[in-house]
Amino acid sequence: MWKFTVRRIFVMIPQVILLSVIIFILAKMMPGDALSGLIDPNIDPATIEAKREALGLNNPWYVQYWDWIKNAVQGDLGQSFQFKMPVSEIIGQRLTNTFWLALLTLIITYLIAIPLGITSGRFNDTWGDRLITGYTYVGFGMPLFIFALVMLWIFGFKLGWFPSGGSVKPGLDPGSFEYIVSKFKHMLLPALSAALIATVGTVQYLRSEIIDIKQKDFIQTARAKGASESRVYNRHILRNSLLPIAAFFGYEITGLIGGSIFIENIFSYPGIGQLFLGSINIRDYTVVTSCVLLFGIAAILGSLLSDIILSIVDPRIRIK
Amino acid sequence: MKNRSFLKALFAIMLVLMLALTACSKESSKPADSGKTEQKGEEKEEGKNEEKAENKDGLYSIEDFNNVKTNEGEAIEGGNFTFGLVSDTPFEGTLNFNFYSGDPDFQVLQWFDEGLLTWDANYVYTNDGAATYETSEDGKTFTFKIKDNVNWHDGKPVTAEDWAFAFEVIGDPKYDGVRYGSDFSNIVGMEDYHNGKADKISGIEVVDEKTLKMTFIESTPSLLTGSIWTYPLAKHIFGDMPVDKISSSKEVREKPIGFGPFKVDSIVPGESVVLSRNDDYWRGKPKLDSVTVKVINPNVVVQALEKGEVDTVSSFPVDQYPANAEMSNVEFLGTIDRAYTYIGFKLGTWDKEKKAVKTDPNAKMADPKLRQAMWHAVDNNAVGDKFYHGLRWNATTLIPPSHPEFHDATNEGRKYDPETAKKLLDEAGFKDVDGDGMREDKNGKPLVINFASMSGGDTAEPLAQYYIQAWKAVGLNVQLLDGRLQEFNTFYDRVGQTGDDDPAVDIYQGAWGVGIDVDPRGLYGQDALFNFTRYSSAENDALLADGVSEKAFDVDYRKEVYKKWQQFMVDEVPVFPTLYRAVVVPVNKRVQNYAIGDGTGIYLGDIALTQKEELPAK
Repeated sequence: MWKFTVRRIFVMIPQVILLSVIIFILAKMMPGDALSGLIDPNIDPATIEAKREALGLNNPWYVQYWDWIKNAVQGDLGQSFQFKMPVSEIIGQRLTNTFWLALLTLIITYLIAIPLGITSGRFNDTWGDRLITGYTYVGFGMPLFIFALVMLWIFGFKLGWFPSGGSVKPGLDPGSFEYIVSKFKHMLLPALSAALIATVGTVQYLRSEIIDIKQKDFIQTARAKGASESRVYNRHILRNSLLPIAAFFGYEITGLIGGSIFIENIFSYPGIGQLFLGSINIRDYTVVTSCVLLFGIAAILGSLLSDIILSIVDPRIRIK
Repeated sequence: MKNRSFLKALFAIMLVLMLALTACSKESSKPADSGKTEQKGEEKEEGKNEEKAENKDGLYSIEDFNNVKTNEGEAIEGGNFTFGLVSDTPFEGTLNFNFYSGDPDFQVLQWFDEGLLTWDANYVYTNDGAATYETSEDGKTFTFKIKDNVNWHDGKPVTAEDWAFAFEVIGDPKYDGVRYGSDFSNIVGMEDYHNGKADKISGIEVVDEKTLKMTFIESTPSLLTGSIWTYPLAKHIFGDMPVDKISSSKEVREKPIGFGPFKVDSIVPGESVVLSRNDDYWRGKPKLDSVTVKVINPNVVVQALEKGEVDTVSSFPVDQYPANAEMSNVEFLGTIDRAYTYIGFKLGTWDKEKKAVKTDPNAKMADPKLRQAMWHAVDNNAVGDKFYHGLRWNATTLIPPSHPEFHDATNEGRKYDPETAKKLLDEAGFKDVDGDGMREDKNGKPLVINFASMSGGDTAEPLAQYYIQAWKAVGLNVQLLDGRLQEFNTFYDRVGQTGDDDPAVDIYQGAWGVGIDVDPRGLYGQDALFNFTRYSSAENDALLADGVSEKAFDVDYRKEVYKKWQQFMVDEVPVFPTLYRAVVVPVNKRVQNYAIGDGTGIYLGDIALTQKEELPAK
């Protein structure tokens, strides 16, 4: 088990390096740079040129890459041109927001998915099941950004139940009870919107697992031994059908960190997704590359986590 | 078992698809607005309901707008005013005038800090601000006196030392902002200081605690219209910090300081700022208790205003105006934007060695008659009405009416007149030789003009197509460069923002936001990189130089010079202006004493409310 984990981490390193090179080249291929937004008669072009030179933007990409990676390895991701502060600090700020949002989304996703999946699997081909599968089909078909906009319009503006943007009400003391409540309130609508869409895959998956397992021989055996129906479902079927979902957990986290881009932009929620998009638009390379690296590492770690969970919960699977 | 492996396969496919989907969507969800602030090029205020514009009643005119809010009812004491900072990205948080670069930061800064000098409607410095000034006989030495009651938020006085310190920091080679430029190098001794040859700027002298003397190398009328850096930097706070560490320090980002009408209470980075009244404000105690500045997404501006969640916004998308003109809880203020859209003709290249424009007399567009004809061929009033509901309108000269003193209202530019256009082309020798309906060039060779235009917004494409058709109507074969619109960064790269002009571009459509100083040298001078057309001529240089000469301190003389220059550009047409623009800003009806534009004499400290509660639309 440990051997496996360590080996996975070693395999990860070249993956991350390759990823960072590709990202860097792609970022450099985009036309313009952080200074091209400053086409402004009030700013001296000579100043812009001097800044460009000072930032090393005139060097060939491999020189720039080397400068960047040299510092990145030492934990210095560089300075954001736009924010004029260390990239690690700005990402740290935003990542906290994204982390809480992702956590809440995850909780809501499972809160919805598990009861719906069980109902739908246990009573398959009833009206309840059809209703639930109907919802999952709508969920599959509905693009997240449209759904989120509709949610924002209805609950944020028409009904006014939720705040319509930001991560916290202005002017509260960080750490106070009010502050935490306000943060939670600001997260709820985006998290709910994301979860209602994200959950449909899990519901479907759980449903088919349950239907699949309840026809297995060992279930027949359990029934034959006289186990009550609720015992059969809770002890035998459910535990077995939750295995793959537990294993999927790692991927889910990855998806939430990377997939925050829509939700955060629609709800003006200052997380990593919004930072990423904004930085692409103004060509703030240091931030863009760091974000992508972060997404990449999250993806790799997520799949590692999934593999580990899988090997723990399902002894049938042996990883060599 | 088979079922399970099938599911796994399905699952894997789903995962791949999901990844592919996210990958695509990242690209496609990129908003039209690229987050650039000063560059007016991105056409984001686009007209969506074109059918409305067909109806003559659906047209608006900037003349019907006031730029000062009408006061209704009785003002109360105190209250909280909410300012919506419209932006699809969080504000950067470089909250100091000496370091900020983005407009969102400016929108926050204006509430708690200000410049020492104010200007009037003609953008000339007045003596009504926190400091007064006197000019010496030769116009080269300025003596400033900071008023006695001007204090920083921590109670320490704003001193001449603080002001001089701002110059020392900006001139420092380690300074990481963008402000250093010709305005600074024009100060005596600044270049030496900037290059590390001197430890002091010899042209800046602190006379006493509140008096500062500044000597310039060249005296120009521009000095009085925005060329003096008026933002002091608190030396008692930043004095001991290394220059390159100031912009990321706590005193800039978390507890910023100023001497404006409000003090910063708390900041949620990138999202919102809460400010409270500065009782010690030099203009007198502000009327409001507090101000909240918060970022709102451009998509939800209208809803936030209707709810009364924000009292006003930093900018309002003009295309949403027609649908919301009747919003019951706001009054719309309007003013003329300091900007114009234009079409430019590439007439040369940029000489990187000499750092100057190299005009090519044999360029494809070199014949002035061809350029004049192309101006006559387009109907910009129709464009303004159809695409912008009259909130943009036909532009006549290169000094927009936002500079009323210098804009020559009697100059009509070149009117829409296809017949004149055809005549001019015939005279110049652009004739249809092969009978295909399209004119050939003077040598009878086919003439194809490549038109670069920027993408962004719904009207970018139809607008470009309109111009192409209008030119086709007079027999000119104009094609979109590469057959498509260009993305913002590509567009300016190819037009020449780094000096590497793409020879494939013949004409382009761009836009400029102009500074408060009318001097157009930065855009049309021979040594201006932003002179994208690469046009130059002796007469142009002479006129531009005359506009900033010592004689031009006489406003009437300067007006005369710029009047001549505007006419000269109408004759030569290296570029022609297409549209002037309106800025429209909604203000909640509970607000009093609010104005947009310059020189209104209404300051942010004067804002008052008529009721404490938010006022939503009925």
